[in-house]
Amino acid sequence: MGECIRRSPVNFTAKPKRTENRGDWEVVLEYDDEKEGPFLIDLSHCPKWDLQDRDISSFTPFSIPIPEEPGGSVFDKGILINRMNKTQASIIHIAGDAADVPEGNSYTDTTDASVCMALTGKNIFYIAEKLSSLNFAGMKKEIPFLLQGRFSHVPCQTVVLERNGFSGTFLFSCSRGYAHDMVHAVFDAGEEFGLKPAGEKAFTGKFMPHH
Amino acid sequence: MTRLENLPTLKINSEKALTLHYGGKTYNGVQGDTIATALYANDVRIFGRSLKYHRPRGLYSLDGECSNTLMEVDGIPNVLTENTPAKNGMQIKAQNVLGIDANYDLMGFMDKLSFMMPAGFYYKTMHRPAAVWPMAIKFIRRAAGLGKLSPDFQINGRYDEIYPDTDVCVIGGGPAGMSAAIAAAEFGLRVILVENKPWLGGFFEYRTVKDKNGNPVCMRAASLAEKIEKTSNIRIFKPAAVTGVYNNNHVVGFQRGGEKDFFDRRYFQIRAKSIVTATGCYERPLLFDNNDRPGVMQIGCAHRLARTYGILPGRNAVFSIGHDLGIETAIDLFDLGVTISCVADTRDDGQDPELEKELAKRDIHLLKGWAAVKAVGWKTLKKVVIKPITGSGEHRLECDLLVASAGLTPETGPLTLGHAKLKYDNHTGFFLADRIPEKMHVAGRLIGLNDPLSIEASGNLAGLRAAADCGENDKDGVRQAEKNLASHSGPGRGSKFISFPGTGKKTFVCFDEDATLKNIDQAMEMGFNVPELIKRFTSTGTGPGQGRIPGHNLALYVAHTDESPDKKPKPTKTRPPLVSPLLATYAGGAHDMSKRTPVHEMQKAAGAKMDRVGVKTTAYDSQMAAGGKMERIGVWNRARYFSNDKTSRDEIENVRNNVGMLDASTLGKFRIHGPDALKALQRVYVSDLSKIPEGKIKYSAMCNHDGCIIDDGIIIKKEENDYYFTTSTARAGATVEWIRYHTRYEGWDFHLVNLTDAFGVINLAGPNARKVLEKVTDADVSNEMFPFTGYREYFIQNIPIRAMRLGFVGELSYEFHVPSSYMQSLWEMIEDAGKEYNIMNFGLEAQNTLRMEKGHLIIGSESEQRTTLHDLGLGFLWDRKKTDTIGYFALNQTEKQAGRFKLVGIKMENPGSEPPKDGSPVVTDKIMGYVCTARYSFSLNEPVGMALVDDSLAEKGTKISIFEDGCNGDLKHARIVNMPFYDHDGTRMRM
Repeated sequence: MGECIRRSPVNFTAKPKRTENRGDWEVVLEYDDEKEGPFLIDLSHCPKWDLQDRDISSFTPFSIPIPEEPGGSVFDKGILINRMNKTQASIIHIAGDAADVPEGNSYTDTTDASVCMALTGKNIFYIAEKLSSLNFAGMKKEIPFLLQGRFSHVPCQTVVLERNGFSGTFLFSCSRGYAHDMVHAVFDAGEEFGLKPAGEKAFTGKFMPHH
Repeated sequence: MTRLENLPTLKINSEKALTLHYGGKTYNGVQGDTIATALYANDVRIFGRSLKYHRPRGLYSLDGECSNTLMEVDGIPNVLTENTPAKNGMQIKAQNVLGIDANYDLMGFMDKLSFMMPAGFYYKTMHRPAAVWPMAIKFIRRAAGLGKLSPDFQINGRYDEIYPDTDVCVIGGGPAGMSAAIAAAEFGLRVILVENKPWLGGFFEYRTVKDKNGNPVCMRAASLAEKIEKTSNIRIFKPAAVTGVYNNNHVVGFQRGGEKDFFDRRYFQIRAKSIVTATGCYERPLLFDNNDRPGVMQIGCAHRLARTYGILPGRNAVFSIGHDLGIETAIDLFDLGVTISCVADTRDDGQDPELEKELAKRDIHLLKGWAAVKAVGWKTLKKVVIKPITGSGEHRLECDLLVASAGLTPETGPLTLGHAKLKYDNHTGFFLADRIPEKMHVAGRLIGLNDPLSIEASGNLAGLRAAADCGENDKDGVRQAEKNLASHSGPGRGSKFISFPGTGKKTFVCFDEDATLKNIDQAMEMGFNVPELIKRFTSTGTGPGQGRIPGHNLALYVAHTDESPDKKPKPTKTRPPLVSPLLATYAGGAHDMSKRTPVHEMQKAAGAKMDRVGVKTTAYDSQMAAGGKMERIGVWNRARYFSNDKTSRDEIENVRNNVGMLDASTLGKFRIHGPDALKALQRVYVSDLSKIPEGKIKYSAMCNHDGCIIDDGIIIKKEENDYYFTTSTARAGATVEWIRYHTRYEGWDFHLVNLTDAFGVINLAGPNARKVLEKVTDADVSNEMFPFTGYREYFIQNIPIRAMRLGFVGELSYEFHVPSSYMQSLWEMIEDAGKEYNIMNFGLEAQNTLRMEKGHLIIGSESEQRTTLHDLGLGFLWDRKKTDTIGYFALNQTEKQAGRFKLVGIKMENPGSEPPKDGSPVVTDKIMGYVCTARYSFSLNEPVGMALVDDSLAEKGTKISIFEDGCNGDLKHARIVNMPFYDHDGTRMRM
């Protein structure tokens, strides 16, 4: 009988240096020879939920209020909540201790529905503009914020978490089946900027340094 | 040729040599040369032959305004060599030449036959007798066209794309554009500056004349460029061409990559809050006989050959010009060593007195009110004839260079594509923007300014206005900039249109299309009396130069004739692309974004031949690993076969007699929840879904308002107000929108979650399926506890499974919906468990035959746009009491409608024949239907199929005839039979 493990749709060719078992996931914390970024980080293992309700503003998943306006995001204690429209939000538990599954019929576990990755480091918004006409770097919105639209021709949710000129961090997620081609497209776009794969630590080390 | 040295404007490095190969010879160039300038420096004067008349053509504009210097470079045809950087080792070939180089063209006699090719001759000649036309068309096609490209030619290089967003986009990196960019950037705004040349500076960059502050304009250009390059919020795209400007300030173009760039071409789409157009001017050709002769060139071309590339354009020159830039260039070229016989100026007055003094100092004769009437010389220029515009007399002057230019023409392409309206201005002689869209601004020579300080001031003002569009409204600054602009010289007086009376037979208005003044006259005689019609009829302005050479002259010439109904010149319409990119530029990175199932690689390793399907699956990796031949339908990649046997016989027989597993992850999967979830389902599904029993699945279908079937799938009630349902692969992407659209006015409270990618699906099918399943789960999966059409949820180890008993392939069959991240694990477990039964993968082809034998249909295979529920025999799904179901009324009307196609089973009359191809028409004396799916049935040992046929043919036993592609009239024959072909009672899927 084969192993009962969960697999990310993302397979980097780099050799993992440090890994961690988390549930049935084997999460790569660091790859060999990571050095300087910019980095592409696979966060597909992070638990995700879809929350839909007519009275969505009354929900406080993980004790965090839903952003009031569509396009708004909140990133608190390792939980990222994105308000998508009047009745819908997406929730990602990116970092921190394992969170309880939020209760209620309005939540749907969507962990395996999408691939989730982060681009972080220098020039990542130059990489982004090769893949999308979404306005990552110029929008005068309070960070974090959500953009919904095409990224490498695929409908994506993208969340800008950090921005300094053309450097910073953003997350993007799309349908899981696109993972292989999306990784290929992003690395191709990032080649001129030295984009490399990195383990989860490159992300959590930045946003949850005490984790 | 020795290059000029120590000029501050040079862009070449004479120390770094390179070689080019052309016409069997090797030529030396230097770093910084374009291909054409390198060849010119080696005394190459003829670069190609013209389209119709095969006339020799030479360097004329250096700006890509015409096709004169299009050549084949390293196998790529139609490379504009006058602005393509030369690279060491390039292989160059002349185009439109029957011979080894453009000097000797065996088709050169065509020039003598020009009388046979009047305007629109291809519309009028060689049509009669009709038998001539097929021959004529071959000849015309061989003789016409520019460049040849092998159909299997693959272009090398890296083709990139970017979609930047910016506050201000400045088109044109001359003095006005640079001033605008600096002005906007000083507010901290993001500015993108697009410049066509490899350097900034525009028409300042190569000129040493001083502005009114005493600064040489080339030094001023360098100073502005340095400032721009140091400003971090200005991005410079150079050399880059704008190909189009679209709504909402959408600027599209491409950048040419240099040796240090990461790309060869980079396509860009810039979204800007505001645009400044500072594209300057190009020159309006002077019209005279043989004005296309190599040795005749524009002022800017001659000047830049010397100042930018260090090449003297000729030894003995005549100038025939219409504005002060010509005089300035004559003086400069004289100082650099060119003998100037005279300067003929079309203007009677208005010359800059200072320039006149400088001419006089050099003993260069200025002939006011004179112009060239004829260039003389066979292949290259030998003499020029000049005449006064009014009065008599002429001079015949020997020369090897005629610098000829009638005036200037603003580059209004980006403006007009951006929906600015042009109007002829009598003072400047320009088509000026009369109405400019909001958030678009103009500056520089484009608005008729000539004075360097005016040009910079106009750029500054445009930059401030653009900043205001972005919310940085510095009213005082704008006011001050307006005053500053007003304090300098305004738009200068333009040059008049000159055309000497004559035959005009070889006076070329359009070099690209060999269109002459005579052709224009011919067109007008035939009633084409406005420029837009003449352009169409004579092809004037439709060549690679995109109308830059003829555009202005055509409008002016037509307005000067009595034929035109309107004496005001009217510009012809500008269309994108303003500059022609390589098609590879549009292809960009060309990433094929498709979906893979989680077992894709596993299936591939198992030999899967992948195809593209519907809309790629989660079992993708596993299937690839299992050697699947993957098929991609729409967005998804799926395994079509697992061997090279296109009948998939082993896979089929294994399912019928043993057990197989299929990756069905591409199915659409959805959750719908909320108090009104059932109402929404009832609206779109034809069946009554209010009574789905617990632990059971319900099969149903969706129709459109015409009663035509659009999808089918299963629905499961998980809890009160909480359902899970599936759709076909192709329909998954449209499902959420479909349901929302058809409930949009109801105000119902329900929510949809697309779980298509969240779950992988394994179909375990065959008489031994239960035995395999029992090895991986402790759950009771007996027929009693888990019967046909049953639904169960249980765990296999840690893996939560949604399991269904279905029978699509007509055997004992389970469908497992499993979280995608666990899909590979479960796939491997089932494979391991099935080893003792020799479990095999099966792909789409096997599934297709299996379900067809069972008479199960696939929407899209056994249906098309007009096929209703009843046509397919699925009327039993319809609950006619549900009056607000989509398609209700149409289903009522069409239920018994005569003359409809009906789905029937067919068997070939000759069981030994091949099954007909899918889609083959069923015919009598007309088309009476078509074969939907037909395959050889290994269960029945004969070909069987399903067809949609006219109801007059649908009765059992009816003989039908099938026309197959390539049958040469030899029809196949089949008879209508009952379905299903296999296991009529359905006992095998209920076992």
